Amino acid sequence: MDVFLQSLKSFVDALGPTIMLPIIIFFVALILGAKPGKAFRAGVTIGVAFIGINLVIGLMWTSLSDVAQAIVTNTGIHRDVVDVGWPSAAAIAFGSSVGLWVIPIAILVNLLMLGARLTKTLNVDIWNFWHFAFIGSLVVAATGNLVYGLIAAAIAAALALFLADWTAKAVQHFYGLPGISIPHLTSAPIVPIAIAVDWVIEKIPGLRDIDLDTESIRKKWGVFGEPVVLGLIIGLILGVIGYYNAEQPLVKILSTGMNLAAVMLLLPRMVQILMEGLIPVSEAAREFMQKRASDREIDIGLDSAILIGHPAAIASALVLVPIAILLSVILPGNRVILFADLAVIPFVVAMTAPLMRGNVLRMIIAGTVTLIIGFYIATAMAPLFTSAAVSSGFAIPEGAVQVTSIADGFMWPPALFVGLVKVLGGILGLAVILLLLAVAMYFYKKHTTAWEVAAGAPKPEPEAAA
Amino acid sequence: MNKPKVVLVACGTAIATSTVVAKGIEEAMRERGLSVTTRQCKATEIRSRLSGVDLVVSTTPVPHDLGVPVIQTLAFLTGIGKEDVLNQIEQLLKES
Repeated sequence: MDVFLQSLKSFVDALGPTIMLPIIIFFVALILGAKPGKAFRAGVTIGVAFIGINLVIGLMWTSLSDVAQAIVTNTGIHRDVVDVGWPSAAAIAFGSSVGLWVIPIAILVNLLMLGARLTKTLNVDIWNFWHFAFIGSLVVAATGNLVYGLIAAAIAAALALFLADWTAKAVQHFYGLPGISIPHLTSAPIVPIAIAVDWVIEKIPGLRDIDLDTESIRKKWGVFGEPVVLGLIIGLILGVIGYYNAEQPLVKILSTGMNLAAVMLLLPRMVQILMEGLIPVSEAAREFMQKRASDREIDIGLDSAILIGHPAAIASALVLVPIAILLSVILPGNRVILFADLAVIPFVVAMTAPLMRGNVLRMIIAGTVTLIIGFYIATAMAPLFTSAAVSSGFAIPEGAVQVTSIADGFMWPPALFVGLVKVLGGILGLAVILLLLAVAMYFYKKHTTAWEVAAGAPKPEPEAAA
Repeated sequence: MNKPKVVLVACGTAIATSTVVAKGIEEAMRERGLSVTTRQCKATEIRSRLSGVDLVVSTTPVPHDLGVPVIQTLAFLTGIGKEDVLNQIEQLLKES
């Protein structure tokens, strides 16, 4: 039996995500009730997307790691952890051993919690299940145990539902989205940090009265919202620092700039294909869950992409891009060079808007604090992130640097999982996380209104006024 | 007369939710015998991508002074009210 399992495992490993994932997706889609033809197309499309992502990631990782190494040799500044972006993180997560199971696991967790009335969110955002698989695959990388990874992914799914419930009222009110909540592990983690930052700002006279004009920010800083231009500029700057004294410096600098501009445009296009392949699965999953969820009032959990168009989110993210680049240079002990995920910053700050009433200056401060914490989290987690990438079949260039991304390499939930599992061991570590989540849910249930107001929900009207 | 109508679909990333909407519109309009092409963009780039566009569909807040009809909807993501929105899109495209 062991021999059989062992050879099955090595067979599956040899096939890799470009072959395994289409097969799994085909069956998952069928089980959820998609038509065979659609399920088949979905599977093949996802395999194709993986091949495309691999090509672009190869280009990016080679350019980035070459220039990062050149910078280390040239300046002695250790910035050898390169930000390969959330598309890479998502591909690593879905391509990992946990990724193969994450869709059924997260659906099961959601339906069980709805049944037990532990959540009121129905998370139909199948695409963003990658965040749970990402945490799971880091736990696998830390413990070498797939079962721990699967349990971690299940707990992460529950954590996302809790954060979605907690922030639902605030998001619905501020963004005008009735019946929606956001179980998104790049966007929700900032909320506790933002609550603390907001509390401190309220204590500082002067600062607490300042707000910035969103429209003038968007006009002045708009270039930071253009990924291709941003990629080119960052590529050129990195190229100058790394290659100014190399042979044929101009050629190397310009080609680094163009390569990175290409990545900024091509990588999202590849992920678009992945997304397209997932549509039949996510629609089947949505119908499957909506049929089985009871008809009491539920919020539908969606991608935080629907929040990003808000002027406050755009304006604060535009200012945060140069701040983030500056931080990556000046923070002592940081080893991360930011690149691909500069485009993800709107996601990081969007959910601070309700509790900061759309005050852009406060959102920038909360975002800065979150990023500072994130740089150290990412530096610490980089070895695990890199080994998770390798075990998902992504080729890391020879003798290269390590990899990370803002989503979710900068976020505290993965750090919490990995940290506790490393210190306490798999079983105890996961048990403690589950306990922490249970405690948080208990206090939320007990003081629901106070928690929701803290996250930015409007204060409830007194009875008489209503 | 047979020139396909162009729908610009916007969301936060031009990747995730806008892909769902774009594919949903293409499929449904084909079934209704309307020839449609979709383009995707970020909410931030919407103004620079407007030329030749007949209709804007967005999952996230966008300005309403674009000079073309704008529909902001989550129906493609939640499945609730999707038929109504598709009817509205069909209507607007036939008029344009």
